[in-house]
Amino acid sequence: MIAIDQQESVKAAVRELIYRASLLLDGERFGEWLDLCAPEFVYRIKAYSPEIRKEMIWLEHDRAGMQTLVEMLPRHNTDHGQLSRHATVYTVEMDGERDGVSAVTSFACYRTMLDGINSHLDAGETQLFLIGKYHDRFRLEGGRPLFVERNVLLDTRRLDKGSHYPI
Amino acid sequence: MSITANESGSYDSGQALPFVDSRLYTDQSIFEEELGKIWKGSWLPAVHESELAAPLDFRTITVAREPIVIVRGSDGKVRAFRNVCPHRGNLIVRKPAGNLALAEPSGNANHMTCMFHAWQFDSFGRCVDIPRMKQGYQDRLTKADVALTEVRSEVAYGGFVWLCLDPGAVSLAAYIGDAFGIMREELDTEPLDVFHYHKAYINSNYKLWHDTNSEFYHDYMHYFNRATSMMQKGYFERTYTAFPHGHATVGSMEVKYDAYEGVAERPLSFPGMPRNGWKMVDLFPGATFNIRGSSLRVDTMTPLGPNLVMIEFRGLGLKRDTAAERHQRIRDHNTIWGPFGRNLHEDLLGITGQGVAMRPGTEPRHILHGRRENNTIHDEIGMRHYYQEWGRVMGRSPSDPGRAHGLAAE
Repeated sequence: MIAIDQQESVKAAVRELIYRASLLLDGERFGEWLDLCAPEFVYRIKAYSPEIRKEMIWLEHDRAGMQTLVEMLPRHNTDHGQLSRHATVYTVEMDGERDGVSAVTSFACYRTMLDGINSHLDAGETQLFLIGKYHDRFRLEGGRPLFVERNVLLDTRRLDKGSHYPI
Repeated sequence: MSITANESGSYDSGQALPFVDSRLYTDQSIFEEELGKIWKGSWLPAVHESELAAPLDFRTITVAREPIVIVRGSDGKVRAFRNVCPHRGNLIVRKPAGNLALAEPSGNANHMTCMFHAWQFDSFGRCVDIPRMKQGYQDRLTKADVALTEVRSEVAYGGFVWLCLDPGAVSLAAYIGDAFGIMREELDTEPLDVFHYHKAYINSNYKLWHDTNSEFYHDYMHYFNRATSMMQKGYFERTYTAFPHGHATVGSMEVKYDAYEGVAERPLSFPGMPRNGWKMVDLFPGATFNIRGSSLRVDTMTPLGPNLVMIEFRGLGLKRDTAAERHQRIRDHNTIWGPFGRNLHEDLLGITGQGVAMRPGTEPRHILHGRRENNTIHDEIGMRHYYQEWGRVMGRSPSDPGRAHGLAAE
């Protein structure tokens, strides 16, 4: 159980971690991003479909799986548009029983095009790619928060060409 | 009945180097003609029955610009209707899916209600309420005069709801013929269930997506397929079989999934499906059933213009799956086929590039369909067969659409 007077500093550290993670993902510095994640880290992208009226998982990997996913990127043809995540941490809550922390962050992810369509005409244009919320869980290690779970809950369900990149 | 490879002329033009004129992908007038002759005249898989599992469940879709509502009636039977109010032409059911037991603000539970003037219809399409009918219409109109227009529908081939807007078209069974023979056991031994749905708008012609699903030469674009299939035994022995009405199938091979780092083989399967097998059925004019071991992917298309198509992607497993089995099927599906999967993104980039190079106003060019390799996996027979049917239905030559089909120097 974390003392009440320490909780505000933990919450501030969690907020900073979420924003740091966004910067690292924007910069495609995936190795450094994974360094912010505990060994038991799990990453999911999920959405609810009102068409089939079901929760869907669109991507799910453990930490090793995410590492492989990003390491394999150079072998794949992909859209090299730059993704930029605009995140706002809404809530950070302490889990008193497990010494854990959870947070909900609203985000919008924009794509500044490079080669996904006609680069001569479209490169440089920024489009809204998707919006949603990060539902994150953390644990403290030596007073430092580490991601143990990121659930990306997408509101956007028409993703057109999709993406090879973590959101 | 299948069409054998040696019946040259039945689906292969016999040209030394067959090609399609790119105006098939760019011309607005050809597109409008396709909506009428092809899309309104063909049987199309619309939704899966598991999306309408309970009485009064509904789904809404659009076929050739026509709004359609599909409803499971209170008697359990699935029916489809024009989703247009016979009063003032307004859209009636607006949500993508739901259950009619939930009353709308303008109407009663168990009914489809046009919110505009509160005309109400039951799950059989019968008009059941017209507000102030006697005062407004006296005896000049009866509810029977204004029932919803039913559309031909049938639940078949894996539990899909098939629609055809043309009352005079052949039956679904005649339209499909034996095209599902390769996949019959997998689709129809046990009930299936949808676990994945997403859609994409792509600035490209719908036929180019069907082309992508109808040729495997583009496996050079996919590292995943090169590693797990092209480099493996049996790949170059996979063969195409063509069927009447423009359909084609691709035979199986054993995919070596663990040849891609971080991916395991797929022990789950479907009844009758070889372990780690891979079968495809491509249906004219724009649907593909694709089973890779543990998951079935079904692509359906809604053409929106010569250079715009909406593609809907479904993933299906067995209805009786345990939670663990379903989880595994979803993981397998997403590895390459989800919106964040390895292959789908690449495929969609491929036809997006075609849509850039062949959009309305670009110069007509010849698009080669000329690979002949004894109907094996890099043969382009699937595309040639498709365009033979396209020419027959449209009455135009695919290689010179200004000429009548069969009269051009193909």
